[in-house]
Amino acid sequence: MLELKALSRHFGGVRAVDGIDLAVAGGQIFGLIGPNGSGKSTTVNVITGLLPPTSGTILFRGEDIGALPTHLRLRAGIARTFQNIRLFGQLSVWQNLWVAQNSAEDRARQGFFARWLGGQGGVREEIARLLEFSGLAHKQDELAANLAFGEQRRLELARALAARPKLLLLDEPAAGMNSEEIAQLRDRILKLRDTGITIVLVEHVMELVMGVTDRIAVLNFGQKIAEGTPAEIQAHPAVRKAYLGGEAA
Amino acid sequence: MLADLIQNTLDGLSIGAAYALLALGFTLIFGVLRRANLSYGAAIMFGCYCATWTHLNFGAGLLLLAAITVAGTVLAGAYVERLCFAPHRGGSMIAAMVASFALWMQFEELVTLVMPTHLYAFPALYEGAPLAFGPYTLRVDALVMFGAAIAACALLWGTLYRTRFGLAVRAVTEQPAAASLAGINLPWVYVRVFALASAIGGVAGYLVVASHGQITPMLGMWSTLKGLLAMMLGGLGSLPGAVVGGLALGLLEAHSQWFLGPQLRDLIAYLLLFVLLAARVPWMHTRSAS
Repeated sequence: MLELKALSRHFGGVRAVDGIDLAVAGGQIFGLIGPNGSGKSTTVNVITGLLPPTSGTILFRGEDIGALPTHLRLRAGIARTFQNIRLFGQLSVWQNLWVAQNSAEDRARQGFFARWLGGQGGVREEIARLLEFSGLAHKQDELAANLAFGEQRRLELARALAARPKLLLLDEPAAGMNSEEIAQLRDRILKLRDTGITIVLVEHVMELVMGVTDRIAVLNFGQKIAEGTPAEIQAHPAVRKAYLGGEAA
Repeated sequence: MLADLIQNTLDGLSIGAAYALLALGFTLIFGVLRRANLSYGAAIMFGCYCATWTHLNFGAGLLLLAAITVAGTVLAGAYVERLCFAPHRGGSMIAAMVASFALWMQFEELVTLVMPTHLYAFPALYEGAPLAFGPYTLRVDALVMFGAAIAACALLWGTLYRTRFGLAVRAVTEQPAAASLAGINLPWVYVRVFALASAIGGVAGYLVVASHGQITPMLGMWSTLKGLLAMMLGGLGSLPGAVVGGLALGLLEAHSQWFLGPQLRDLIAYLLLFVLLAARVPWMHTRSAS
């Protein structure tokens, strides 16, 4: 599904991402973990096109997407959420989802005027389904800026799903959540996986990462220091060292 | 005395409607790109000269001239966007502004090369007598101006709040990165915003030129200054503010011209702007910072 080959992104002399190789198989939930500043968010930004790579290759479903502009990567099937929520606050919940319906299928299905003036060709049904999935159906006319924190996170996830992604990158989706909300998030992530979406989960909250992922890669100082199943990662000496600090292991 | 006040108010509102349109176009660009486009007025002048040239060489009806003005302005606006704003996106604000100043000069030189006479006649919107309501008179072209301004406002509002394109514009204004990650093509949105703003400016330019019955290259500077002034009076970046600012500027000019004479008319508007800026009135510094 997604393959990174010797991917690097440098900021001046800082090697934020330094030659990472990674392969995410279709249908997996793939965890990307590492200490703060280890290059996780930069990797996500490079995959989605917010930052160009310094060198290396990004293959999505076998095609090199390294030169594709951001909005075309989304239309090809890569969506994401942000660590710090970035909703369109002055748009209603419903409008946030409508404006994000940009998958190739949705664009092909509707004529110009239908697309401009709103919601035909199953688009309204699709938005209603997403609102239901996110538990936001009763808030659909509310301005996104007026939602509670947890609701905003759910809306951001729904907005990413509005593009019918094949690959979904979640950048610290559990940040700021209590354990009940994390349990709900976990259920949602598993449900999404069951609909066939491949998920890359960047996360600090270990109870979530260890509980849902099929495979995990660990980054430190921009390099991949380990990869394996959750059980293998928990037992890995280099990982314990990276997390506990240089001397502790 | 009262009759004069009312007459001045009517006159002020009708020219204010044109200012409001100029300010709307300006504000749209400023709100979405956070960049001041100094060649906004020059693009309008270019559009009006396209119509003048067509009229001189081929003759054309009023509606066709209006369409040519708008089309020429949209074309010039898209040219400005490609040359001044697309290369400096996310970059220096000053670079984009200076580049837009350079294009202003380019437009002025171009029209004076092709049409060297300082002043050209432009077919008037309406040549009959003004309508009389008791002691008051109302020029028909002023009524047209007012009607067109209201229609343009309604159309703009509908576009921004009721269409998917409008939602995309508002999404881009608020969160450019998230918008592109939601599949919105940012460069294409920016070009269309410029085209929309230019079309509004073109309508304003046509109405002003057709109601004066003449055109000079000064129209560029005039449009930029009036649009900028009205936009600032109404609060940077607020669309309803642009309309209020435009009408207020028109009223202010009409009344100060009556009481203080035409020499002081412009001075009063700038003085007011200066005082409002110095007093830091709340609406001029607050943008919905979301």
